[in-house]
Amino acid sequence: MDLQDAIRGRRSIRAFRNEEVPRDLLAQLIEAAIWAPSASNAQTWRFVIATEPKRIRSIKTVSPGLLGDPAAVIAVCQDLAAARERGGTLGETFLAPVDAAMATENLLLAAYAEGLGTCVIASFHRGAVGRVLGLPEGIEPMLLVSVGWPAEAPPAPSRSREGRVFFEVYNGSG
Amino acid sequence: MGQAELEERLFELVGYMVTSGRNLLDETPLYGPFRLLDAASRLILLLEDEEIISSRLSTIRERIDAGKYSVMTSPGEFRTFLDSLVDALVDHMNPGKEKGGDQLGKRTEISRG
Repeated sequence: MDLQDAIRGRRSIRAFRNEEVPRDLLAQLIEAAIWAPSASNAQTWRFVIATEPKRIRSIKTVSPGLLGDPAAVIAVCQDLAAARERGGTLGETFLAPVDAAMATENLLLAAYAEGLGTCVIASFHRGAVGRVLGLPEGIEPMLLVSVGWPAEAPPAPSRSREGRVFFEVYNGSG
Repeated sequence: MGQAELEERLFELVGYMVTSGRNLLDETPLYGPFRLLDAASRLILLLEDEEIISSRLSTIRERIDAGKYSVMTSPGEFRTFLDSLVDALVDHMNPGKEKGGDQLGKRTEISRG
């Protein structure tokens, strides 16, 4: 798939068909994620993939932003102690979530190229999800990604450019 | 749906509402009405799956599900959608079809058994 087509065609999917996603396909998505850049090449991200229906239901119970019934939920996490060791306070508080986001975008595009639907979820209770996934202290879930075969094709929201993009010097409102 | 599955789904709905309550402390206020609508939709769906059928509730659920995601794209559209939903609720209450109300000074005595 052409990269621009993937970037422009990907949508947030919140309705999924009741079909499994093969484990090796999920592994491919993680492979795409870990080829994202990371600050200082820290690679302190961690991924936990939930596929058991009961576990997904438990995650959903404490994740108001998780809509629909996906075949898998991927928790994009960060080892905050490792991030601090590599990047200091900046690494822990800023670079870790940025790295997680960049990895997540790779994952979303790879999923779209395979015909999968995804949605990024930030609205979840971090402590509760951590318990459901057995995350130890210091491994922080940054984002959840629901993954499944799409049962909808939502339209693309418009993209604004005016007042948002400048060459050389900012020239917009404060 | 068996008793255990019903209890599980009710538990999940309560979990959704409780976690929403916590998360909304830190989230955009617009998500408050969205979560309430979504909870209403989930509750009606649960009743439908239990074969507790109400055509007006099903109609409301369909309207919620058709319009709730406007919260993501247009707050103005979401507001209009909410107003139309409240209007639809009132329509389903069959207003204006009751007998005329009491006039001041001519109050009908309520019989007490």
